[in-house]
Amino acid sequence: MVENFAILPCNGLDKCAGVISRELAIRLSEQADNKIICPVFYRVSETKYNKLAAERPLFVIDGCQTRCASKLAAEKNLKIARRVIVADEAKNRHMELTDSLRITEREAALIDLLIHTLHEESWNHPAALTGSPGSTDRSEGLIDRLFDVGNKSDTDLRIPAEDLDASFDFDYETIQNGKFIFRIPKNRDIFFNENDCWARVSGNRARIGVTDYVQQNLSDILYFYPPEVGDEIDQFGELGTIESSKAVFELVSPFSGKVIAINEKLEKNPELINENPYELGWIAEIELTDPEGDKELLIGFEKYFEITKKKVEDANVK
Amino acid sequence: MSNKVKVIPCSGIGKVFGLVAREATLKTVLELCPEKSETVCLAYIVTGDEEVKERMSGSVCITVDGCPKMCASKNVSLSGGVVVDEVKVLDTVRDHKGKNFGSATELSDDGYLVADEIAARIEKRIHEIL
Repeated sequence: MVENFAILPCNGLDKCAGVISRELAIRLSEQADNKIICPVFYRVSETKYNKLAAERPLFVIDGCQTRCASKLAAEKNLKIARRVIVADEAKNRHMELTDSLRITEREAALIDLLIHTLHEESWNHPAALTGSPGSTDRSEGLIDRLFDVGNKSDTDLRIPAEDLDASFDFDYETIQNGKFIFRIPKNRDIFFNENDCWARVSGNRARIGVTDYVQQNLSDILYFYPPEVGDEIDQFGELGTIESSKAVFELVSPFSGKVIAINEKLEKNPELINENPYELGWIAEIELTDPEGDKELLIGFEKYFEITKKKVEDANVK
Repeated sequence: MSNKVKVIPCSGIGKVFGLVAREATLKTVLELCPEKSETVCLAYIVTGDEEVKERMSGSVCITVDGCPKMCASKNVSLSGGVVVDEVKVLDTVRDHKGKNFGSATELSDDGYLVADEIAARIEKRIHEIL
């Protein structure tokens, strides 16, 4: 089975080697489905990363000889599958690290070199990197998996959305101010962010849209610019835009994940968002990357209700 | 012990607002106030190493957190640092509602705008302190 990696970088800030470790981790995570573990948050709260650390082989990147990342792995009893110490790698290549805390051409060159070396290792010493001594199958190489972008096409990712579809009963609470009525669903599996977007979670997927507050403020929505199916979205990243004659609103995704469907009806009928932003006017569905971690930064009905109520009162909408 | 104000961002890897925290800190310590401020690696602080404990103990710190978990503020306090100001990226972000701040790996122009605003606020605070 092809696995991908949990990358634990020291993520250093005050030394050049640490800055390189961070950048290297990011590059590796961009090149394949490798997931980064934040060393600070992992130390203070295991929950977010325990599953990831247990399920994937661990690639540790230390900047300097303090080896913060390795120490953390040891404290958590994690088996290190591969380790890079940036300072050593630089020394081996007769490169002197500077005091720079920015990635300049020099640091970028070292990062490129390290990535190239990791590629080479996977070709030349696959068995040493797989953890299975007899293996000569390059496709199983540990480092190779760091770069394996997989073969899934966007079409493969289009999953029908039956379980997020119409059968769901929304239970609304309302805030009224003058002629305006703002509906907010109070179902427990609906989450909100403070950017007035909602997400209804079902298993490892979520359907996302804007709240009544947004559609009322925008008034008649004229255009819908969806994200692309297959897009990787960070939590609080942009998930398309909607536009009325008054303003453009960029959706801030409550969850991180991959876009697996968009509401194609909105392309011809964006006014469905005005009609009902929760049921007819949903925007996109995403396959969730880190639902439990993301939920920690979201709010439920009670809190969102209070926020909206205050906003409505402050705006004195009539 | 250094008298410089320590500006310490959350580790912030994998989140756009964490990257904003980091960029705001670097802007402060490298460009705006290099004589009066410095940064310390939070990943090192949380190791609890004796050297870093000594460095942090009683030091004047401004923390910059990208999310409500407040990793920087909590851990700097635990390490013995005196947090005189807790900067929350989200407070500034709220003034730029609807903008695209970039990604966890690269800030957009608006992302840098927010980072610069935060850096300017930290700079002001540093001049008040020293």
